[in-house]
Amino acid sequence: MTAILEAPPAALPVVRRPDGGLPPPPRPTGGDDGDDRDPEPRRPLLDNARLATIFLIAAETMLFAGLISGFLVLRFAAAVWPPPLQPRLPIAVTGVNTLVLLASSVAVAAAVRALSRGPASRVITRLKVAAALGATFLVVQGYEWARLIGFGLTASSGAYGGTFYTLIGAHALHVVGALAWLTIALVFVQSGRFRPERSGGLRACALYWHFVVGLWPILYVAVYLL
Amino acid sequence: MSATTVHGHAAHAEHEHHDLGFIRTYVFSTDHKMIAKQFLFLGLFMLIIGGALALVVRWQLAWPETPVPGLSLILTETGGIIEPPHYNMAFTMHATIMIFFVVMPILVGSFGNFLIPLQIGARDMAFPTLNMLSFWTTFSAGLIILAGFFVPGGHAAAGWTSYAPLSSVTAYTGVNWGQNLWCISLFIMGVGSMMGSINYITTIINMRAPGMSLFRMPLALWSLFITAILLLLALPVLTSAAAMLLFDRTLGTNWFNPSQGGEPLLWQHLFWYFGHPEVYILILPAMGIASEVLPVFCRKPIFGYHAMAFSMIGIAFLSWVVYGHHMFVSGMNPTLGLTFTITTMIIAVPSAIKTFNWLGTLWGGRITFPPPMLFALGFVSMFVIGGLSGIFMASTPVDIYIQDTYFIVAHIHYVVFGGSIMGAFAAIYFWFPKMFGRLTNNALGHVHFWLTIVAFNVTFFPMHIIGVGGQMRRIYNPLQYEFLQHQQHWNVIMTVGAIVLGFSQIIFAVNFLWSLFKGAKAPTNPWNANTLEWSAPSPPPHLNWGPKIPTVYRGPYEYSAPESKDDFLPQWQPATTGAPAGRH
Amino acid sequence: MLNWWLPENVATFGDEIDWLFHLIYWITGITFLLVAVTFLAFLFIYRDRPGRRARYTHGSTPLEIAWTVAPTLILVVLTFLSLPAWSRIKMSMPQTDFVVQVRAKQFNWEFTYPGADGKFGTPDDKTFLDEMHVPTDKPVRINLGARDVIHSFFVPQFRFKQDAVPGREIAAWFEVKKPGKYEAPCAELCGFGHSGMKAWVFAHSGADYDQWAAENLKGDAAPAAAESKPADAKPTTTEEKAKR
Ligand code: HEA
Ligand code: HEA
Ligand code: CUA
Ligand SMILES: [Cu+2]
Repeated sequence: MTAILEAPPAALPVVRRPDGGLPPPPRPTGGDDGDDRDPEPRRPLLDNARLATIFLIAAETMLFAGLISGFLVLRFAAAVWPPPLQPRLPIAVTGVNTLVLLASSVAVAAAVRALSRGPASRVITRLKVAAALGATFLVVQGYEWARLIGFGLTASSGAYGGTFYTLIGAHALHVVGALAWLTIALVFVQSGRFRPERSGGLRACALYWHFVVGLWPILYVAVYLL
Repeated sequence: MSATTVHGHAAHAEHEHHDLGFIRTYVFSTDHKMIAKQFLFLGLFMLIIGGALALVVRWQLAWPETPVPGLSLILTETGGIIEPPHYNMAFTMHATIMIFFVVMPILVGSFGNFLIPLQIGARDMAFPTLNMLSFWTTFSAGLIILAGFFVPGGHAAAGWTSYAPLSSVTAYTGVNWGQNLWCISLFIMGVGSMMGSINYITTIINMRAPGMSLFRMPLALWSLFITAILLLLALPVLTSAAAMLLFDRTLGTNWFNPSQGGEPLLWQHLFWYFGHPEVYILILPAMGIASEVLPVFCRKPIFGYHAMAFSMIGIAFLSWVVYGHHMFVSGMNPTLGLTFTITTMIIAVPSAIKTFNWLGTLWGGRITFPPPMLFALGFVSMFVIGGLSGIFMASTPVDIYIQDTYFIVAHIHYVVFGGSIMGAFAAIYFWFPKMFGRLTNNALGHVHFWLTIVAFNVTFFPMHIIGVGGQMRRIYNPLQYEFLQHQQHWNVIMTVGAIVLGFSQIIFAVNFLWSLFKGAKAPTNPWNANTLEWSAPSPPPHLNWGPKIPTVYRGPYEYSAPESKDDFLPQWQPATTGAPAGRH
Repeated sequence: MLNWWLPENVATFGDEIDWLFHLIYWITGITFLLVAVTFLAFLFIYRDRPGRRARYTHGSTPLEIAWTVAPTLILVVLTFLSLPAWSRIKMSMPQTDFVVQVRAKQFNWEFTYPGADGKFGTPDDKTFLDEMHVPTDKPVRINLGARDVIHSFFVPQFRFKQDAVPGREIAAWFEVKKPGKYEAPCAELCGFGHSGMKAWVFAHSGADYDQWAAENLKGDAAPAAAESKPADAKPTTTEEKAKR
């Protein structure tokens, strides 16, 4: 016991180095993390832009998880859903609109694939198609919102209206953001900023676009179909 | 400055004189070190406001309904007497400011920004501009939260937890724009912290210097890495909840309004789903800082490096599944209470591992006691008290009684003041020489520590006693209750303690400001420490190192290693040379 | 022992809670002492002295295992002592015919008794403001609700606490062992009147309670809430209530 508690002596237990010649290699230090050798420079698996976008998507997922779980709590606590005397949501139109949005994702994927082969103009056209599809989605959504408000479904119409506008509105804002990012990326491609070997920014943008599109079917099922 | 470091930094001069002009250098700077300083100043400034509010609260509790000295200048209609709405506003904003605008900016914002690039051996963050935006977003959130004090109806007054429907319907508190601004500010703060955390994580994953493997990272980096992940995933939940609350208040949605199909408990679930990870966001960086400071002043490797890293990972995982312990008597399904008891008890285990490893680090050390060490030791001891009081609450039946009493308030302050703020002080004293290139005053640091730790315990320990005696938290005047009358003397003692505690911080402020301008010039490695930041000049120039970034050869805690004559062996010291660098 | 600290307990499940409280008190107290003594001893023994060098060690796996397992065991035991008590208190409802409906509103408590017909929602229901009367040695079921924001019904001497949430009714119970007059503050922040929002719970022994009930519950003429005060107990009126 006393041996454990005793403070260690000062005598330096230095590894005696032989005079002349090379010193012996020191013991590995730092616990069990291997030998002290001259390390290699780091080669990251993913470039910063895409890595960061993945984390952005993780954060956004939590944001929507909060909203969607809130919605589900209210929706399953309600006796009848949708509540009587409230307008029904436009399932068919929105279904078609879903397809429009999914198509935009295909276009973005195609644009990314075109990066490494073929001329930049192919990338540009595909991105333009994607942006146009995204914009179409937004316009149709906006039109449907206007109609619903006309029918009397507003944000203050009970849990039904409030959750609908919060969730769908949050998603629409994300589409707007993604669209803005896509447009900037488009401009960059046009000005020749993205070469095939330095295309992390564009790929990151594509990743985010896929996330925003991929989120929609979940919301569509939860809000419109359930 | 010595040029003994292998990858000399003689050539840094060329980087230092990018002429960026005042604005780009000091205001909209993208240099992680300047942003770190900005966060630090923001946090310290907010500490004064949060602390002043705390003193207002304390005054009212000790001498209810008597004029607070000096407050008559602000509360002219009442002559400085606090009325119930003021009181509710004071503790609500006290907690909101302390948590979101003091501890988070200092520990995560400032030391995260300062340490991550310097300790991994990077020249800056992965996204410097994003980093700058992150600060200015947080700053705007701070302005908005302060603006709330000046709107008609007063600031938010529903507690920092802002339980709906009290917070969601203006008529219940009479607070209108105050609560809206609270939501908006936290929303913006959430966006800012998301930018920051994405940046931190990316930087740590991708930009480590050659040789800096994950398990050669200093524990401070591990803690910041894990904190950033928690921030990334937890804050968005608060963001969504704050948005819902704001929409309920302004757009007429009914998320939390029971008469229209809303659910009040939904707010609590969302808030605590964020809130519990949040409390570990507040403590993990402090744990990392303590793990950094203890080895340096024990001249000894940290005990159980891997256990330390894995226990932090364990805390992070478990922090997602314990949140219900804040809602034991909320009316949530009591069966859930059972599961949350189990997880809450289990989450104490990684903290136990950490505590014992800190003790293990002290064992056999060669301990010196400069101010950073004192505060790190203060952190360890006070955190243990705060953590142990958490066990009482983890036991559901006991929590029935002590929930919403001062026992909880005692717990809060032992972990956030005794833990986070002590950790922040340790960090400030420890890295001040590197951050500002000057040494702080040792004697003032000692006085600051001893006054703080004594006054702290006088202020907060009796809260356990009156809490068990039944005093509820968030009450304006304990004398309104007969069963609390007999313990009022404690309230007076605590308030005196709080006043001393508050004024002790003036010593810190003096030390800080004086050292900033007049302190002795700091050498490159004043503490003879091992981690990479001590290989850069003090203060590090733009881009941190000269032409070549350092290479890492070993773990961060090689103190008193047998093969080194000296008692430290820096991470950047190549294996083949015997003598350590950085002595002055 | 240590009972000077907690207010006197007068309810049945209070003993269980107090027992757990003291158990945890001792466990954490001893843990704290051990940690604190070791901590201070190390600081003293290993303070920097000339001629000493720090021990070079990276840790010890056996120790690591020991101090992981020991707290785990303690905590698991604590968990298994807590769970049954919790389920007895909050997850089960003893058989009882004594039901009171409690409604919280800013900043009062309303206690409704079913009246002569034994049913709620009939005109002979009797409602009292900020005072509640219960018999001793009989489980009391309360159906707890709130009219506006969340409140919390807290009776320190019963070790009873339950939030009252608008939009739902929560059933809870307690059984008082000792007659007396007990303060029941609201424990959840509910607005500027939160402080001072309280009720008095009067626990009467069997015969006393019957007398009180006969005088105050059975009659047809519904007594106006505020006047229906038994002689022995006049609730102190807080300023807050005087204002409204
Ligand atoms: C930095 C912040 C922080 C930290 C680290 C913690 C850590 C813990 N907290 Fe705390 N907590 C808060 C901040 C924090 N808390 C805040 C702010 C609130 C109030 C919110 C509000 O309502 O406003 C709160 C509220 C709170 C509650 C809700 C109380 C209520 O409202 O009824 C509970 C309940 O279980 C709880 C439990 C715990 C536990 C078990 C830990 C554990 O992690 C502690 C683990 C540590 C130890 C146990 C000590 C070291 C270990 C040993 C020495 C080993 C030996 C130990 C044993 C064998 C027991 N906390
Ligand atoms: C990080 C978090 C934090 C910190 C640091 C503190 C610090 C303090 N708190 Fe805090 N408190 C909370 C978080 C915190 N608190 C929370 C979460 C709650 C719950 C709120 C709720 O119920 O909603 C709470 C509630 C709370 C209550 C209960 C109110 C109630 O329920 O009615 C009380 C009462 O005594 C109190 C007191 C204090 C005191 C006296 C301090 C003192 O330690 C403060 C001392 C500090 C100063 C006085 C500042 C001086 C500083 C300087 C001078 C530095 C200047 C430096 C430079 C310029 C370089 N707090
Ligand atoms: Cu009702 Cu507090
Ligand atoms: Cu918690």
